[in-house]
Amino acid sequence: MEPKEPKEISLEMKEYLVSAGAQTLDHCMSCGLCSALCPWRLVSGHTSEVFYIRRMQRLAQLGLEGFDDEEVLFACTTCGMCQRNCPRQVKIIENVRSMRSTTVEAGFVPSSLRSVVGSLHSNGNPWSGPREKRMDWQKGMEVPAFTPDTEYLLFVCCTSCYDPRSQKIARNVVSLLKAAGVSFGVIGVEESCCGETVRKIGDEELFQKLAESNIKLFKEKGVKKIITTSPHCLYTFKHEYPELGGEFEVVHYTQILAELVQEGKLSLTVPQDKKIAYHDPCYLGRHNEIFEAPRNLIKAVPGAELVELSRAREKSLCCAGGGGRLWAEVPRGERFGELRVLDAEERGADTLVTACPYCVIMLEADCLALDKQEKIKIMEISELLSASMGRES
Amino acid sequence: MGNKSILVVGGGISGLTAAIEASEVGHEVFIIEKNPYLGGRVAQMNQYFPKLCPPNCGLEINFRRIKNNPKIHVITLAEVTGVSGQEGDFEVKVKVSPRYVNENCTACGKCVEVCPEERKNTFNYGLDNTRAIYLPHIFAFPMKYVIDAQACSRCNKCAEVCPVNAVDLNMEPKEMTLRVGSIIWATGWNPYDASRIGYYGYGQYQNVINNVMLERLAASNGPTGGKILRPSDGKPVEKVAFVQCAGSRDENHLPYCSGVCCLASLKQATYILERNPEAQVYIYFIDIRALGKFEDFYMKVKDNPNIHLVKGKAGDITEDPATRDLIVVVEDQETQKLMKEKFDLVVLATGMAPTTRESKAPVDLVYDENGFAVGGAPGIYSAGCVSRPMDVASCVEDATAAALKAIQSTVGR
Repeated sequence: MEPKEPKEISLEMKEYLVSAGAQTLDHCMSCGLCSALCPWRLVSGHTSEVFYIRRMQRLAQLGLEGFDDEEVLFACTTCGMCQRNCPRQVKIIENVRSMRSTTVEAGFVPSSLRSVVGSLHSNGNPWSGPREKRMDWQKGMEVPAFTPDTEYLLFVCCTSCYDPRSQKIARNVVSLLKAAGVSFGVIGVEESCCGETVRKIGDEELFQKLAESNIKLFKEKGVKKIITTSPHCLYTFKHEYPELGGEFEVVHYTQILAELVQEGKLSLTVPQDKKIAYHDPCYLGRHNEIFEAPRNLIKAVPGAELVELSRAREKSLCCAGGGGRLWAEVPRGERFGELRVLDAEERGADTLVTACPYCVIMLEADCLALDKQEKIKIMEISELLSASMGRES
Repeated sequence: MGNKSILVVGGGISGLTAAIEASEVGHEVFIIEKNPYLGGRVAQMNQYFPKLCPPNCGLEINFRRIKNNPKIHVITLAEVTGVSGQEGDFEVKVKVSPRYVNENCTACGKCVEVCPEERKNTFNYGLDNTRAIYLPHIFAFPMKYVIDAQACSRCNKCAEVCPVNAVDLNMEPKEMTLRVGSIIWATGWNPYDASRIGYYGYGQYQNVINNVMLERLAASNGPTGGKILRPSDGKPVEKVAFVQCAGSRDENHLPYCSGVCCLASLKQATYILERNPEAQVYIYFIDIRALGKFEDFYMKVKDNPNIHLVKGKAGDITEDPATRDLIVVVEDQETQKLMKEKFDLVVLATGMAPTTRESKAPVDLVYDENGFAVGGAPGIYSAGCVSRPMDVASCVEDATAAALKAIQSTVGR
């Protein structure tokens, strides 16, 4: 008897997924902890009803159709809550990435992400910003250029290069590093996006292209150590570039500043009388294990009182901006960031501080949508620190 | 020919069994027990498999066999600190902590009436308190009071009121040396520390308890006299969730299946319904593992319309701060839908971690990657749950086998 066609397809699909990075797909025992810990369970709405990460992986294991429905396939924010706690240590995010690549590599990209992918191809950034304007964020300030004598390359996230709100983060980080006497410099327009998000979207080819171009550039310039402004760049440089030949010592700016504050090289003097809730960015916390440095920085600000959100540290709730979701249109009431703002308010905070350009965008939009902008101010840590140094951010 | 006597470390069901079996064929046996009483985890059960007996039933028989047997020497509040020598001739150093109550004690209880200090009742897993001078539990063997030195303020009121001069606050720790031909290590297990599983809120939410605590709540000699009341407000429970594999079959916690927790939860579901036939019980599982003949028990429980078995590992547990009710989130894999249910009480079915998981024993044992003892130097044997997770009946068999090996070691062939 002829084998039925779907069965043949399923075996090929499974093989493709494994070759595209889903090596641990079969480790899954379908216990469902991932589905239950998923932040989508905390909101209502259509995506929450259709997106179950266990089910998606089960379909992939069997090579069955269904996981490739756009709303399911691109729902995951790669926050890592499931992956960190998976009883079988399945690399769930790798599985998601490989499943997405089945459609993305075939040329299908969700409409919300088309301009992102297009701009990365043509401009080397996801924000449709011309390459030659990559350094516009530093207008009016002296930013040292990276030379072989410079200790650190400061790598500014594309978001903080082009987004006017986010540019403030880059400028504040520069001021703080300068004030603390750190030897650092920037490269400039030849830099490309780190590629973290586009890899999660499933465009492996584009990621490889971006990564190779950065690695080549960094090596030519003699880069050994990198400071990133974004936890997403930190993740990619630290965990994904080495296997492509890019071995650098990479830190997030909060790590280096926390050390400098402890050594007394950065004095925070202007009191900031705020009750501050700290939102752990997924890529700083769960993905890079940096929980203390940002908290120590907040605690070092005179007058600042740190309060913990009900979901903090390893259990932090995602802002919903990872995995390409930064560009997703999500109806109000279905946004994780709204829960963060409401949580901060419930804990009596007046300021919600975070340490990631994506989180800032998401949380600010959600705070505004809730009409809470008078009650809860969203800040990036560099902005808080600059204020405490008496600088306007 | 070697020394004929045998050391048994641990006075739980495995240690008791090994000691009694070896002594009844003529060997001198020393039982070293860390607690002030014998019986171990079994003594803390409400009912246990296979026949769902209360623990005093099985333990009383063993205690009688010990009382009638001059060859068994029970040393409580004692720990082995070092072992030297070899098979047939071991020298064992033992440290004995003071009980502060001597042999005169008749367990009359007058001391408790005057004691002003309190301590967490460890026998009830901290669900209630006792005075600083206390009887470990009502079937305790030996039936003698003991003073918790950490809680005691040395007021001496108990000594003054004691009619038989049994209290001696000047007792000092003692060191002793035993010479034995072989050693049986039967130090048992601990429930896995569920506070390490961040998303379940154990240790944070009062009404999230573990399965051994539920045994105490159901036991007639427990903190609630056998009524299953929730810790936060003493309310009788109406809706209870059991979370299976709380830390088990989990590479981040215990990678193995303890093999007893499914049946424990199925049994505990019957405790709840015996006390309140209207109660609703949800059991969230990955797989139900009811091995061998216990399949029948599983099928019987499954047929109860008030017991809901839901395939899906529970994720997030949150507390309603006003009511202290708990909300459990799970993906029901049969319906492929989200279940978000509110409960009075959540019971985490925690697995068995060997006592040698946290710190190794002061004796030459070999361990597997999870800390279970899988062998030892010649003349040293492990028995019971320190070797692998097992139920009471299996412990008895395993301990009997260990007794035979220990006897052989004293013969020297």
